[in-house]
Amino acid sequence: MDALHHLLAGFAAALSVKYLLFALVGCVLGTLIGVLPGLGPAAGTAILIPLTFSLDATGAIIMLSAIYYGAMYGGTITSVLINVPGEAASVVTCIDGHQMARQGRAGSALGIAAIGSFVGGTLATVALVVVAMPLASLALKFGPAEFFALMVAGLCLVVGLAGNNMMAALLMTVIGLLLALVGVDPVRGAPRFTFGVEELYDGIGFIPVVMGLFGVAELLLAAEKRQTHMVEAELKSWMPTAAECKQSVGAIGRGTVVGFVLGLIPGVGAIVPTFMAYVLEKRVSKTPERFGKGAIEGVASAETANNAYANAAMVPLLALGIPSSPTIAVLMGAFIINGITPGPFLFQEQPALVWTVIASFFVGNVLLLILNLPLVGLWAKLLKIPFSYMCAGVLIFCVIGAYGLKQSLFDVWVMLGFGILGYLLRKLDFPIAPAILALILGPMMEKSLRTTLEISGGSFAIFLDRPVALTLLAVPVIVVGFLLFKPRSLAPLREGDSE
Amino acid sequence: MFIRRRTLLAASAAITVASPAIAQNYPRRAVQLVVAFAPGGSTDIGARILAAAAEKDLGQPITVVNKAGAGGQIGFTEVARAKPDGYTLGFLNLPAVNTIILDPERKAMFNVDSFIPIINQVLDPGLIWVKGDSPYKTLADLIDAARKAPGTLSACTTGILSDDHLAILMVQEAAKVEFRIVHFDSGTQQLAGVLGGHVDVAFDNVGSVFKRVQSGEVRGLAITDSERSKFLPDVPTTKDLGYGTVISSSTRGVGAPKGTPADIVKVIETAFLKAIKSPEMLQKMDAVGLALKPMVGAEYARYYADTQAQAKKYTEWALKQR
Amino acid sequence: MRQGRLIATGAMLVFCLFAVWQSSLLSLTDRLGPGPGFFPFWLALIGVVLALALLFTTYREPAAPAADDEVRILPYGVGGMRWLAIVLLMAAAAAAMEVVGFRLAMLVFNAALVIALGERRWWVIALFAVGGSFGVYYVFTHWLDVLLPDGRIWS
Repeated sequence: MDALHHLLAGFAAALSVKYLLFALVGCVLGTLIGVLPGLGPAAGTAILIPLTFSLDATGAIIMLSAIYYGAMYGGTITSVLINVPGEAASVVTCIDGHQMARQGRAGSALGIAAIGSFVGGTLATVALVVVAMPLASLALKFGPAEFFALMVAGLCLVVGLAGNNMMAALLMTVIGLLLALVGVDPVRGAPRFTFGVEELYDGIGFIPVVMGLFGVAELLLAAEKRQTHMVEAELKSWMPTAAECKQSVGAIGRGTVVGFVLGLIPGVGAIVPTFMAYVLEKRVSKTPERFGKGAIEGVASAETANNAYANAAMVPLLALGIPSSPTIAVLMGAFIINGITPGPFLFQEQPALVWTVIASFFVGNVLLLILNLPLVGLWAKLLKIPFSYMCAGVLIFCVIGAYGLKQSLFDVWVMLGFGILGYLLRKLDFPIAPAILALILGPMMEKSLRTTLEISGGSFAIFLDRPVALTLLAVPVIVVGFLLFKPRSLAPLREGDSE
Repeated sequence: MFIRRRTLLAASAAITVASPAIAQNYPRRAVQLVVAFAPGGSTDIGARILAAAAEKDLGQPITVVNKAGAGGQIGFTEVARAKPDGYTLGFLNLPAVNTIILDPERKAMFNVDSFIPIINQVLDPGLIWVKGDSPYKTLADLIDAARKAPGTLSACTTGILSDDHLAILMVQEAAKVEFRIVHFDSGTQQLAGVLGGHVDVAFDNVGSVFKRVQSGEVRGLAITDSERSKFLPDVPTTKDLGYGTVISSSTRGVGAPKGTPADIVKVIETAFLKAIKSPEMLQKMDAVGLALKPMVGAEYARYYADTQAQAKKYTEWALKQR
Repeated sequence: MRQGRLIATGAMLVFCLFAVWQSSLLSLTDRLGPGPGFFPFWLALIGVVLALALLFTTYREPAAPAADDEVRILPYGVGGMRWLAIVLLMAAAAAAMEVVGFRLAMLVFNAALVIALGERRWWVIALFAVGGSFGVYYVFTHWLDVLLPDGRIWS
């Protein structure tokens, strides 16, 4: 098989000392960047682009890709330890991951995240090798109509997460969607709901909101409880126990599939697969009430899906030259600047380069595992720092993260405001996850619906012509409607049942 | 492990021959180049290549800062409001700047005089393309089909009132046809849309897809310019095909906020011009399909004014359609 | 707790009503199909309905156990002071950041917050304050190209 032959040659090259070193440096730098809250893989990757100018093309791609995966993992570290998501996809990890940290199981959380990421990433890369081209072209059939339907399905699923608190979850989703519509209207390009505040032209920044709702709110809650440390419980172990690993096997498997499939679809973004994997896991679990309180499957599924997605997203990039998310768009730009234009001809024109890069994805996944597993203990030790210093430190980085994105003080205020809001919502038991997903999906939903209508000339009937879109739309809506109007959901809201 | 750009640049500046009559003490620290579009796109790539090259001649790092959103409005506003001390420069896309100003609903906080156009880098001509296996083999085929089914053939752009959108309007006017206009946000979305069979034809620019035209994945129907593109010599121009009025391209250059002192502007112009004329720049830009068209001083200012006038006509027409 | 939820839901109701009003000011449909106001309008309307429904069911909840009612929503006591310290100091730092610059603002912020949260070892406080302001500034602006404010009054 030609591909296998190329792949082996690729491995030979990727394992050369030079490229191995680049991958290592990339992983380390990426993880460090990912750990800094708010900076995120997109900004971090962009910042580190100039670093690669002095490298040859292959080396540059290897390093940049390693930075990308590293950054994804770095975001996990802060999510688990301090409940601050490094970027969009890490939000889901915060939900169970930080709870685990609070129970002294930070080591298990970080460990299973590393293992799950490794498995998910490796399997996704294997699948990439086997099915890259044919699946990529198939994924193109996913047009704006299907996209819209997918987002609606995603939102409905997350609302379904909320169990008995569904009405509150729906309300939060609606509010999240409304907030997402602030900014510029996608049809006229005119400002909408901005009330003359210029900083709102781009919408309410997602990162400041999320850092506030999760990170700042967590600090406020902890301060109020007069905690002496971020996490009061003693660290039980540096690694997940055998039992925990066994528990997570199913989650890892399902997470890989979800992450991989969604990674093939251009434009999906990292947050959808992580949410969906999490929801799926909760649904198939025999003990769903553990989710939100430190269920290791929650972390395993989200992290695996995340990494499977990251690796699978390389398929549309390499095979079609179409980036799946803003971070990958940055990656693509970096490739182009370094003289490599991703696209179908890349496989024919420069097979050595492409296969070396693919081989280095495998290598990168291994490196990340080797790097991060031992360091888990170190990261977890950070939790021993007294609360006062941790609090100030985290806030410093959050401020930099919020400000640094667009040199906007407004974003810092947004973060603070949502921090207080998040605190109140947590105390009152309102589910935040649906609002977060709505905030990020909202603009994409509206845009894809508008585009669908532009293509159909204004007629909604286009959905009837497209069975995939129709199914994606109908099924979750029906399911949610059914669950909502079952008599049980009108019963008193029980505390602890949300998220 | 971090390359200390400052140290490297200081060293190279020391070796470079200093030009006479330099504005005293400029530049003393890093200069920001604000790019109004997302990282990784065609505009951003051209800007980064330029910044990396011009850094050496300027003697200080040039940091590319992306402030995307609202079709460029966010970034342009940022530049218009920056302190005119030469430390914040803008990467100006025409006709994006023009159309934003001309659309009253966008409530632009800047106008034609808010910027000092310093030097133009790229002129990326418009390209009309379809899928490689599309039934439309020439522009004439497309127009015929559009005539037979007015308002059903879909054509996509990279944004409302972008140069792509204006090009569609020009074609509609010249050939007396009507398309269904679909607005995406980027060249890559157009690719996904057309290659996936959701949209019939894309109005885009050469730089975004030239490699795919060369490989045959995509078929170029026409270049909306008066000269052929050196990257795609086989694609006819609209002038060749008898639609000489359809001229549209995206130009990108460097500008400064109004009020920046003339001698600082001169330093910037000199540094960037040197970078643009270097053979290394040409090589890098050729690799990404971006055609260089340096314009400075009065020539650029005149081009700026001309684009504004041309954009005015079509923008008003587009607005009437609402 | 129930009272808190009622108030919060009420606030969301007001928010949705406001959104309905604002969206109705924008055009709901135009020649090309749904206008800018279309989605926000219907969404906000759904929000109003949901908020009313939630208010209704929350109100009709059977009396919650006493412990539940005692959960105070707003911060109080020593914990409340710490909460307040964080919020006020963050606000002050944000307000001051662009005026006096990141370094100075965060220097004061670091020291003040850490003291407010109970630290007393002066030399650690000083080290942390300086590292967390000047040190962090240096790393981010020089190595990572992130621009942080220098302060209007100094330039």
